[in-house]
Amino acid sequence: MSTPTHDVVVVGAGVAGAVMAKHLTDAGLRVLMLEAGPGTPQTLDGYEHHLNTFYEASAKGPESAWPTAPQVPQPDTADLRFNDGYFVQRGPQLYGSSYSRLQGGSTLHWLGVSLRMLPEDFDMGSRFGVGRDWPLRYDDLEPFYRKAELDLGVSADVADQQYHGITFADGYDFPMSRVPMSYADQWLADAVGDLEVPIGTESVPIQVRSYPAARNSMPRPGYGPVGALDRRGDGQVRPGLIGERCQGNTSCTPICPVQAKYNAGRTLAQIDPGHLEVRAQAVASKINVDPTDGMVTGITYQRYDGSSYVEEVAIGRRYVLAAHAVENAKIMLMSGLTGPNDMVGANLMDHPTLYAWGLAPEPVYPFRGPLSTAGVEDLRGGPFRSTHAAFRFDVANDGWRAPTGAPDTTVTGEVDQGHFGADLRRRLATTLTRQVRLSLAVEQLPDPANRISLDWRFLDPLGNPRPAINYRIDEYTLAGMVEAKRVAGAMFSRAGIEDRSDDDVQKWFPTIEHQGQVFSYHGMGHFAGTHMMGDDARTSVVDHSQRSWDHQNLYLIGSGSFPTMGTSNPTLTIAALAVRTAETLAAELGDLSAGRVGANVRSTDR
Amino acid sequence: MSDTSTNNDTTAKTDDTTSTTAITTIEALHEYLGRAMQLEHATIPPYLTALYSLHPQTNSAANQVLRVVAVEEMLHLTSVANLMNAVGGQVDLTAPGFVPEFPTYLPDGEEDFQVNLACFSPATLETFLKIERPAAAPDEARRLMPARRRTDIMVTAPGDPELRYYSIGEFYAEIERGFNYLHDRHGDQLFSGDPTHQAGPEYYYSGGGELRRVVDIDSARSSIELIIGQGEGVGTGAFDAENELAHYYRFEQLKLGRYYQLGDEPHHPTGPDCEVDWSAVYPTQTNPRVGDLSGFPELQETAVSFNRFYADFLALLTKAFNGEPELLIEAVPKMFEIRNKATVLIRNPIPGSSATHSAADPTPDGPMHAAPTFEMESQ
Ligand SMILES: Cc1cc2nc3c(=O)[nH]c(=O)nc-3n(C[C@H](O)[C@H](O)[C@H](O)COP(=O)(O)OP(=O)(O)OC[C@H]3O[C@@H](n4cnc5c(N)ncnc54)[C@H](O)[C@@H]3O)c2cc1C
Ligand code: SF4
Repeated sequence: MSTPTHDVVVVGAGVAGAVMAKHLTDAGLRVLMLEAGPGTPQTLDGYEHHLNTFYEASAKGPESAWPTAPQVPQPDTADLRFNDGYFVQRGPQLYGSSYSRLQGGSTLHWLGVSLRMLPEDFDMGSRFGVGRDWPLRYDDLEPFYRKAELDLGVSADVADQQYHGITFADGYDFPMSRVPMSYADQWLADAVGDLEVPIGTESVPIQVRSYPAARNSMPRPGYGPVGALDRRGDGQVRPGLIGERCQGNTSCTPICPVQAKYNAGRTLAQIDPGHLEVRAQAVASKINVDPTDGMVTGITYQRYDGSSYVEEVAIGRRYVLAAHAVENAKIMLMSGLTGPNDMVGANLMDHPTLYAWGLAPEPVYPFRGPLSTAGVEDLRGGPFRSTHAAFRFDVANDGWRAPTGAPDTTVTGEVDQGHFGADLRRRLATTLTRQVRLSLAVEQLPDPANRISLDWRFLDPLGNPRPAINYRIDEYTLAGMVEAKRVAGAMFSRAGIEDRSDDDVQKWFPTIEHQGQVFSYHGMGHFAGTHMMGDDARTSVVDHSQRSWDHQNLYLIGSGSFPTMGTSNPTLTIAALAVRTAETLAAELGDLSAGRVGANVRSTDR
Repeated sequence: MSDTSTNNDTTAKTDDTTSTTAITTIEALHEYLGRAMQLEHATIPPYLTALYSLHPQTNSAANQVLRVVAVEEMLHLTSVANLMNAVGGQVDLTAPGFVPEFPTYLPDGEEDFQVNLACFSPATLETFLKIERPAAAPDEARRLMPARRRTDIMVTAPGDPELRYYSIGEFYAEIERGFNYLHDRHGDQLFSGDPTHQAGPEYYYSGGGELRRVVDIDSARSSIELIIGQGEGVGTGAFDAENELAHYYRFEQLKLGRYYQLGDEPHHPTGPDCEVDWSAVYPTQTNPRVGDLSGFPELQETAVSFNRFYADFLALLTKAFNGEPELLIEAVPKMFEIRNKATVLIRNPIPGSSATHSAADPTPDGPMHAAPTFEMESQ
């Protein structure tokens, strides 16, 4: 067997891989990172190039700023229109989410919502008799949530975030104070007043609440916010020519012009280059396993340039897959590693999401500030979860942009009706300023039939198969959608908002029918569950440290490890788990090294 | 041009409290700090004019350098306000003459240049290099030099306009000596200011440098040294202790077409190419006046409204610096508004005007563009 060149080989330079690499290198370990996509976002000039790509794009979808190399195709939300994209969708429902395959990963175009999971999310099985329990409790993860909030740079006030049993260590507050709530948020908060909605057997007060965001705001004492960093080809990091706090550019997705919003490149750039080697344009394609003991002996990757590529093998003492829930499963399956009961790839989840939108009775001035700054968290938990899904709302700051294409379509709509000049301006001023929208994101449970598999009929330019998806939205989630719609409706009528939600407008969105109601839904980019963790090697792929049961020197990290996902956006939990696994790994490799020193001492003694 | 590697070590020198200082009273210290604020502010209009004259989505190197320097001048302005507040002084950015009339002299070793409000060009860059150039007096006796010409502002020694400092760095060194001297005399009573008037780091950050509350002699010294270090660098070379490149060397990269990297000797960057497109610039009128726009009421009204807005902005800063630091939050969107208003002027050609540049000057010919005039009504 060849000798390792690095302590740890990490596959994927997204947030999971970057946070992992940061903590491993901080502990003195040497890390090799394989990244499938181009490394452009790492330099300031490269980032600006992507910004210009976004400015020039006619359709401003989440991926518009981030085209990748043809060798590493990626899903695009617009694929859903004709179902002709990267995913081979096998139904019955369409899976509506996307991710990015270039250095920095999907955080390049994420929104930055950084919620912790609720304590009750960790034991859905024993509390509500649905889903499964995690092999971890909230309290196990709490210290790592704090570390992740530091790594990502999260802005929030603890005072707003103690609900549904969420606790914080004594004296703790977030690294930066909360991003101010928008005028529209404050208006809506006032307008819904003391509204309570009946749900299950309870009556639940509804509150519009600021959410924690990985966007730079006012730092608390002792915290230095991280802005844009510039890592050059020669390994040098040039800090912070633009390192700013959020300035409300309203383009967090797809790209924050000033890098006030966290992306994984920021973590990578903070790593000591002496300990980290990032190899871009290196697509992991096969995990090589010793059949006698299941240990990984190396990871084969395709290093491409132009139209050609070469195969090389990376060898480390430990291996970490951090290539995203779908790609982790894909690499495993391409290597013939299917886990117990074909669990690799299975239990794929998302947060299928509905829009509700309407016209406020007075101007609320949308189209300013981050895409959203507040949400409704009150129905993320409660006894009703034994019968239907929980949900949370984002309160949008960008009017009806997402469902209808406003403001452009608002203008063309008025023009089509024959309005122009001063009349047109007046009409726009009265409608655009009153646009209110909510996103209703609904929980989904693990279902082994919902899964990623490989379709060898469709190959990418490097000869790798495209992922096929079987996906079904079940009764539990559908019943949650019904309730979410009802709560949104109650908020609208209390606030005097005229409901304008119209499924016809969102024609290309996937739809699903339930008890005569048709829901147009979309994905949230919250993939989870393809290599879930558990405390039994027969019913899970990884253990509570995200270590593969079958391959003891292999770790699969990211939201693929989630047994259930509750209603929180997954990234903060991905990062917290990555820190936890990194500490385990560093301790283990540290002990090993110490052990080896001990052995040497003994042998010389002899 | 002097070279920082031959600089005297400012820190060591100024820590020597036995050296003589011109600042022996708290009133004198207030006066010096007032001058320092004026000095820090005076570079902002020229830097902003050059920055906003760049065509959008071009010249990213120049854009970044100008931006970071302008933003750090704001940091210095606020740092000096903190120093002033710490010793019980009052700040007034609305006083007549606070904003200089351009062209204006700024101090440097030789009184060999004036600062214009002008678009980004090789000549403008030369001026900026002169503003920030590292210059330490060759010896103690020459720290204060006879002023050859009377200048209205800045680094003439307060109380004696016939004398002026060799450089901005020396001027600040004098202030540091003054702090040391007065601290020796009065002890911590020197810091009689209300600590709640201090603007802390939560109000400012960018990639480099942070805003410090000034409450004692140590924080006063470190604030002063930050200002000196970021501007011109100190004895150590192009980079400061935090590996941040001093302004002078940031500008020099644009001139030499190459980035510095750590370990480089001053004037010899060895990093990647640093590209500048001198033609991707709006050729603005140099040192414009509202009066020049009398034939074009729309442009003139825009220029007047810019100046009014800028005056209001300075009034807001004055309030913020005099005990209401939280007003600095309100100042942030106003800075965007300043950019937007400046851009409206700069993107508009003045009808019928024309600018022809010498063959050696790559600035595009054609109609001259309008630009903010920074004329304050009180003047
Ligand atoms: C529009 C949108 C908005 C979102 N908003 C939020 C939000 O507000 N809050 C939140 O918590 N989450 C959000 N998410 C989800 C979030 O982006 C993901 O949870 C997160 O980025 C996943 O991190 P990761 O490191 O596991 O994967 P990724 O970020 O996808 O990184 C994986 C990396 O691996 C690389 N890779 C892939 N295949 C290979 C291979 N074969 N070999 C080598 N490298 C490979 C990829 O190029 C990539 O760099 C959003 C997602 C989308 C699409
Ligand atoms: S609102 Fe703007 S500045 Fe703030 S995070 Fe979003 S894109 Fe960045």
